[in-house]
Amino acid sequence: MRKKIIYSLLAAFFFLNAAVGQVLTVTGKVTDENGIPVSGVSVIEKGKASSGVSTDDKGIFKISANKGAVLLLTAVGYDNREISVTGESVAIAMSTSVKGLSEVVVTGFGGTAIKRELTGNIARVKGKEIENLPTPSVDQALQGKAAGVFVNSQSGKLGQAVTVRVRGNSSISASSQPLYVVDGTPITTNDQSSYGGDMNPLADLNPNDIESIEVLKDASAGAIYGSRAANGVVLITTKRGKAGRTQVTFNFQTGFAEATRRVQMLNSEQYAELILEGAKYRDDLDGTPVTDPDSWTSYVKNDVMGYYSYDQWKDDPKKTYDWQDHVMQKGPYHQADLQIRGGNDRTKFFSSFQHLDQTGTIIGNNLIRTSGRLNLDQKANEWLDLGVSLSLTRTYNRRLPGDNAFSNPLQAIALMPMTPFTDPNTGLPAGTPPGDVNIPLYYNPVITVQYAKYTQEVFRTFGNTYLKAKILPSLYFQTELGVDYLSQNEEGYFQTQTVRNQSRAARGLGSNNGAFVTNVNTQSYFGYDKTFSKSHLNATLGMQYQQSRAKYNFTEGTEFPSDSYQKIASAANKTGGSSSQSDYRFLSYFARANYSYNDKYLLSVSGRIDGSSRFGENERYGFFPAVSAGWIMSNENFMGNIDFLSFLKLRASWGRVGNAEIPNFPALGLYSGDAGYAGVPGQRPSQLANPNLQWETTDQFDIGVDYGIFKNRITGEIDYYQKNTSGLLLNVNVPGTSGFTSIFKNVGTMSNKGFEFVINTQNLIGAFKWNTNFNIARNIGKVENIQGQIIEGGVSSMNRVMEGQPVGIFFTPEFAGVDPANGNALFVKNVKKADGTLDKTTTSNYNEAQRVVAGDPNPDFIWGFTNNFSYKGFDASIFFNGVSGNQNNIYGMGRYSSASMLYEDNNTADQLGRWQKPGDVTNIPQVRLYRVNGSQASSRYIVDGSYIRLRSASIGYTFNNNFLKKAKIEKLRIYVSAFNLLTITDYPYWDPEVNADDFDSNIAKGNDFYTPPQPRTILFGINLNL
Amino acid sequence: MKSTIINIKQLSLVALSAFILGSCTDKLDVNPTQTISSEQALKTEGDINATLIGAYDGIQSAAVYGGDIQVLNDLTGNSEDIQFTGTFAGLNDAYNALMASTNTFARDTWVASYNAINRTNNVLANLDKVVSSDANKKKVEGEALFLRASLHFELVRLFAKAPGDGDLNTNPGVPLILQPTLVVDESSYVTRATVKAVYDQVIADLTKAESLLPSSNSRYATKWAAAAQLSRAHLMLGNYAEARDAANRVITGSGKTLATDFSGLWFTQINLGGTPPAEYIFWSEVTTQDGVNDINTFFGRTIGSIPGTAGRSDCKIKASHLAKYEAGDTRNYFILSGGFNYTRKHLDRYGDVPVIRLAEMYLTRAEANQRLNTTVGATPLADVNRIRARAKLADLPSVTLDQILKERYLELAFEGHNLPDKKRLKQNVGTLAWNSPKLIFPIPQREIDVNKNLTQNEGY
Repeated sequence: MRKKIIYSLLAAFFFLNAAVGQVLTVTGKVTDENGIPVSGVSVIEKGKASSGVSTDDKGIFKISANKGAVLLLTAVGYDNREISVTGESVAIAMSTSVKGLSEVVVTGFGGTAIKRELTGNIARVKGKEIENLPTPSVDQALQGKAAGVFVNSQSGKLGQAVTVRVRGNSSISASSQPLYVVDGTPITTNDQSSYGGDMNPLADLNPNDIESIEVLKDASAGAIYGSRAANGVVLITTKRGKAGRTQVTFNFQTGFAEATRRVQMLNSEQYAELILEGAKYRDDLDGTPVTDPDSWTSYVKNDVMGYYSYDQWKDDPKKTYDWQDHVMQKGPYHQADLQIRGGNDRTKFFSSFQHLDQTGTIIGNNLIRTSGRLNLDQKANEWLDLGVSLSLTRTYNRRLPGDNAFSNPLQAIALMPMTPFTDPNTGLPAGTPPGDVNIPLYYNPVITVQYAKYTQEVFRTFGNTYLKAKILPSLYFQTELGVDYLSQNEEGYFQTQTVRNQSRAARGLGSNNGAFVTNVNTQSYFGYDKTFSKSHLNATLGMQYQQSRAKYNFTEGTEFPSDSYQKIASAANKTGGSSSQSDYRFLSYFARANYSYNDKYLLSVSGRIDGSSRFGENERYGFFPAVSAGWIMSNENFMGNIDFLSFLKLRASWGRVGNAEIPNFPALGLYSGDAGYAGVPGQRPSQLANPNLQWETTDQFDIGVDYGIFKNRITGEIDYYQKNTSGLLLNVNVPGTSGFTSIFKNVGTMSNKGFEFVINTQNLIGAFKWNTNFNIARNIGKVENIQGQIIEGGVSSMNRVMEGQPVGIFFTPEFAGVDPANGNALFVKNVKKADGTLDKTTTSNYNEAQRVVAGDPNPDFIWGFTNNFSYKGFDASIFFNGVSGNQNNIYGMGRYSSASMLYEDNNTADQLGRWQKPGDVTNIPQVRLYRVNGSQASSRYIVDGSYIRLRSASIGYTFNNNFLKKAKIEKLRIYVSAFNLLTITDYPYWDPEVNADDFDSNIAKGNDFYTPPQPRTILFGINLNL
Repeated sequence: MKSTIINIKQLSLVALSAFILGSCTDKLDVNPTQTISSEQALKTEGDINATLIGAYDGIQSAAVYGGDIQVLNDLTGNSEDIQFTGTFAGLNDAYNALMASTNTFARDTWVASYNAINRTNNVLANLDKVVSSDANKKKVEGEALFLRASLHFELVRLFAKAPGDGDLNTNPGVPLILQPTLVVDESSYVTRATVKAVYDQVIADLTKAESLLPSSNSRYATKWAAAAQLSRAHLMLGNYAEARDAANRVITGSGKTLATDFSGLWFTQINLGGTPPAEYIFWSEVTTQDGVNDINTFFGRTIGSIPGTAGRSDCKIKASHLAKYEAGDTRNYFILSGGFNYTRKHLDRYGDVPVIRLAEMYLTRAEANQRLNTTVGATPLADVNRIRARAKLADLPSVTLDQILKERYLELAFEGHNLPDKKRLKQNVGTLAWNSPKLIFPIPQREIDVNKNLTQNEGY
């Protein structure tokens, strides 16, 4: 939205009283250069931040101000303007073109900075850029919008956890997710669910309530958040009221979503061809004639294809049932928003309501969110401001099971194509009792969708109050109390029909889980801001205390009188019950000072002392300092004659931040009381002690340039950074013979370095407007030293942490194709020879092949490319994002579904290219039923995960005519928008933007395990302004 | 400006109090709620008893006596009796005797067994806290020794060469862990003891346990459980006299009796309400809330007509196995479902997992008497006919060693005896020789990776 706008301000001041020092009511009108009124311009008297008003739809404002005061006019998309109240009627026309660098950026703890004066690296995403996206949580919307912020939505399941990495992955065992702070309070973002994959508690925040998101990327910006800033800090600021006419905005959008991509599977004829080939191989090996009733061939014909097709296969061998199609659907989407914003010079309010009803692209998934918010600011008197923000949300989610469950609908692709959807004997879904429950081959997930339900209902409160007192004109004190209360109830009921999947559901299985997370934050700080001739000093000093308590309970029962009773009250057998609690606390003191001289030289210093209950008793407090400096070269006289260069700033920063996102009690030697036997209580040693345990430390150096060219029609940033992390909190492997498998220790170092490049251009200005934003980032992560630890994760433990490599690389034998002579899968031995080189000869004996680094789930480059167009009433935008240089692991499905028909699972269509006779040159080994041939874990299943995605595109038209005016409608916009419309990738399974929820960990990324793909959503919307 | 001055005072007070509020560092002393510190955990006799129960919980792990040890012993290389159609690669590889060093079942059994051994060692190192009576102290020590010995015994059978395969005095066995782990230091990076040393320790622990344990002890280890395990260890070593005598002590001393009907031994949850039949000498007790029957997981199957059954239908029993039973043999105990036969022994989802039952002791005594040409306790013929009579078969007029071994094979099928019996009898397993390295489990790759002092087995 960076436009070159030239606007002029015409202000006429009328004085009720000409006396000096008296309060005047000033009325003005704001227009752009074409004389068109600009509404929504904020007008404040400088130094009295709480006294502002804003212009109405005719560009008119009215404000009380002292004679001689300075009025500051700001508006999104326009340059700031200052006007002195002179005492006579004046008409001021002005034109300016500076844009982008005058934005105000939130820096935390009451701090704000004008972008041109920033010495740290903070990426800002405006609420406008992410509004009305069909992503339930705001983190997904950051994708491609902020340079150096990598987002992977992981799964198409609604409301599930999302991977966010700011400047790479800087931890191994501790979390690498950034800290999220909403209106000053660090919020709960870790999973609280008890079923399926991790959920995303950020989905309880309505993204349309957000005014701006600031991502604190470098250490000088983040150090004020101390031990919690190493993964970056995401500051979310919600919208607040504006003085002026009450604005009512109503938005409704509706549409549908479908899976972005599908996988081509074998049809019945192809399936039969392959599996009979594999059976014949086994019969030949055993010397059994294929006609023998005990032969593998007979088994496959009768007991596989016959039995699992209800004996229909022999009558109609071509009949194919597309199970993939059967479990995917077109999911409707509806969203309605109402926002009301207004106020006067003493009281300002913003309120919003949203109802969202989203249906998944996989059967059995549904998300409904209803939220309301009221943000209120009150000027109590001359020296006291106070306010409150309150958001109440209900999020209902009908969950899908984890990717690794047979009841995961997408696992239906494994079912044989000759198995009918419906049992011909009962007319019910195949496998539903009273029919044969052992058909299909595996459990039919449709039964769970139809006869079971697992729902999650969250009530979430985000609340903040503040008092801000002006002590001196340049000094204020602010105290805040924030609460994030998450109350969650999950209910599951599995009817008797699901018994093959839930064997305990023979007479019903019900469960009920509660999670109550209370997160209280209080912070108090002094703020100081003063200009001394050419110097400007801004300082903050304060403390913060946060305590979080999570309580969980659980009950479970079986033996229900009938499926009409689904609450545990009716369960004759209460099979499970539990309650638990976990706490953590942080106590911190912080200080920050920003100094600028002559609008050229900038210096910033900050520090924080952080204590946490998570750290060992010997290492309870840490100190996190940062320093940064900037030089606005373009303000130097010697630069004055370089015409094309409008702005140039050099900046550099160094800081130390920490990562404290470890379990709550990792430092203690512990016994657990969960080791009962047959109803008798027992205990077990569960954790080894480490009283010296502390945070991870990241030292980050950043050097950057902010530039503006051609009267700032081209602006941007270039950054290079280096992050060195030491004292990694490793869950260090110990010999299993000790009775333990790991202990938490601060060992090891790793580094991330990279660059970020941002360019914003205003290509066309005038009636037809076109602007472009492009950002690209490269991060190189490297594990420097982990003292020889072997740390594995992911599907078949193929992700690994290794020295000299990025976190979580794929470590597995190297596949070498197929021996044309005999159809054997070959692997490269890669055994280290005496001379240190690797033996590159091949072997068909898998155990002879050593594992090698076969891929990296971390991308090399991430980028986003946005174009916005407008012409008269039309507006359009198109946004691509891309990820390149990363690999995904498809072994999750591959070992069953791209495995030369090793098992009876249906296979991907590419398996038709298998080796059949000597001389065949192919990469698909010979089909050998139940004899492993190439389906072992290997680089065969490590594939390119790069993609370019048309993330969003929209086109809209705004009506602005007299008819609407008569109907009291200020503005009416209709639009069509599309998300994930196009994905360009070589990825062989569904979606390259993936990570299987059941395997997800900090190091286990890039895994696919029948993971639902991202939705492609088309929406039609209408927007009304009253 | 007077009002401003007052405000400064008031505000300074508020600000100051806000700071003071925050400066209580003891706020950071937060304790966990579901766990307690190690120092608190082992103070009283009650704590030691709870830790001993924890050791039972440890051996009840799916990867140990929860069933995987039995499943692995039955499944490995056993194409003779079983058609395996499961998708757990670790089990499929064991079935095909094509295991890799990363085999997850080998890893899990190793890790869970040593975890349980550490629990027993925590008990044994704190026996001085058992002060209520000498009898209680003996009981606690005996149980812990029994559990520790059983775990070392199962590990050496799976992860090392069998006695008789090369020289057991030099063949590497498994690490012997006899002390609790309080810290991980150099001594934690253990080496493999020889097969001989492991068996010596197992026999010493079991012998002591037998002397310490009471005759009856609810669901926990008894004198007879120790003697029965001892008879197994001696049988593996070919110490037939010791095996015979230990088995004889169980038969004559335990008061245990054979179940009247073979079918009465199973479905302990569905038919017996969770109480195992009197014939069980040691078992892993499963309830609807605790414990797992992993033999059921892999050998079981959901049978619509029998509520409470479950399983993955992975282990289909071959027709050739069924043909080995004589007509009328009630041990021909299979169910045909979906075209395949499944053993009925392990259909009960919450069925107790048998580890040792009395019938095995009769068969061990018969085999040892036959080999030694003795009649300790009873003649081999009498013992075999006792087992046959329970299976509703006619008495044999006379008996050979092969007949005794066949009765053993049929009686104890799919209860975890196949691999150790084949190795001790030097019989082929499927198509592989009894001493094939492919029938010996790999030392888990995670252990090799983390502990350079461990040597890998041949072929991995």
